[in-house]
Amino acid sequence: MSILEISVEQFYEAARDVCGLEIVAGAKHMQRVIREGAINRPGLALTGFFQHFPKRRVQVIGLAENSYLNSLPPDQRKERLGELFRRRIPCVVLTRNRHALPELLECAAEFNIPILKSPLITNRFINDATLAIENLAAPSIKYQGTMIALRGIGVLMEGAPGIGKSETALALIERGHSLVSDDLTVLRRDSTGAIIGSAGDMTRYHMEIRGLGIIHVPSLFGVASMRREMKLDLVVRLEHFNPEHSYDRTGLVSQTETLLGVEVPAVTIPVAAGRDIAHVIEVAALNQKLKQLGHDAAKELDEKLVQTLTRRVRA
Amino acid sequence: MSQTSPNNDASANRTLTIKNKHGMHARPAALLIKLAGQFKSDITIEKDGTKVSACSIMGLLTLELYHGSEIIICAQGPDANEALDAIADLINRKFDEE
Repeated sequence: MSILEISVEQFYEAARDVCGLEIVAGAKHMQRVIREGAINRPGLALTGFFQHFPKRRVQVIGLAENSYLNSLPPDQRKERLGELFRRRIPCVVLTRNRHALPELLECAAEFNIPILKSPLITNRFINDATLAIENLAAPSIKYQGTMIALRGIGVLMEGAPGIGKSETALALIERGHSLVSDDLTVLRRDSTGAIIGSAGDMTRYHMEIRGLGIIHVPSLFGVASMRREMKLDLVVRLEHFNPEHSYDRTGLVSQTETLLGVEVPAVTIPVAAGRDIAHVIEVAALNQKLKQLGHDAAKELDEKLVQTLTRRVRA
Repeated sequence: MSQTSPNNDASANRTLTIKNKHGMHARPAALLIKLAGQFKSDITIEKDGTKVSACSIMGLLTLELYHGSEIIICAQGPDANEALDAIADLINRKFDEE
């Protein structure tokens, strides 16, 4: 389990909507730190067995734990909970909206540990909360680029300011694709090693078009024109056409861009007057999808050529 | 390309033989295009009466040039001779493949 540092407050904010979290007690102590990205059911600990007890994790008291605690005489219940809280756990979550036992609240006050509750059943809570913690802990960067979801393919356009990223995005939206983020994309690496792009909370759904200013994309183009987040499949580098620069003409040389330690396929597209960049990007994305499915047109044609030309020689 | 240019640019031809084992597949074609693009002259490649621009990858591949194919390279422009020298060198080097 990787070491991390997430405050209970951050966890609460991130999981509040998905898990319906509420603070029951200890609101002043939300700065306590979660150092392991998993959720623990402290069943064994409540029986008094503390070997290998993962004290750095969020502790959940679900139906079984609660029933067990109820089965104990009050003094023993207090003692066992005291043992648990004494280990400086980050916080306790009660699932199924259980009422906190008085002994639990006493311990929370004594050890300055927050108690939260969720209406979810324990398993569901563990799944959603683990995902929330993973997302919080995922390495992330803010990246200068506009991201589009194009028929299930995540495309991040990068290039010098004024090269036309937003205008190209607009053209792609008009062709029925969805905007993920304009100009600044938040990228994070999830636990599977995929790069996920999304917009910053404040600017989500907006874009800036030179000469027009800021526009609200779903108001103009409908809700389908926006997508909250998208896995990144292809980086498209837009650059001013430079006659000195030799652009890849075959597609045999695969380019990549390393983002958060992950190599993402990339293409460089020269922007010149009269080129329909949106259309070129559409094709680049489809071609990338084809490659992911195992068909590399450039490679296949080349193999066919080599075969044919070599056979000609023998003939 | 075949028409006379307004200024007195040199025009030069050279007959060459493809020497690399696998012939003109995508990688050598890309190298040739890259090289041809560095000159100001218009460069064409001709085989069996079919003439294509040395800047067209699909054109070059269509010629189906294999080991032993004879081609005529024609350059027209201020640096026609340098262009032919460079291209002849690339082809004679077998596109650095072998």
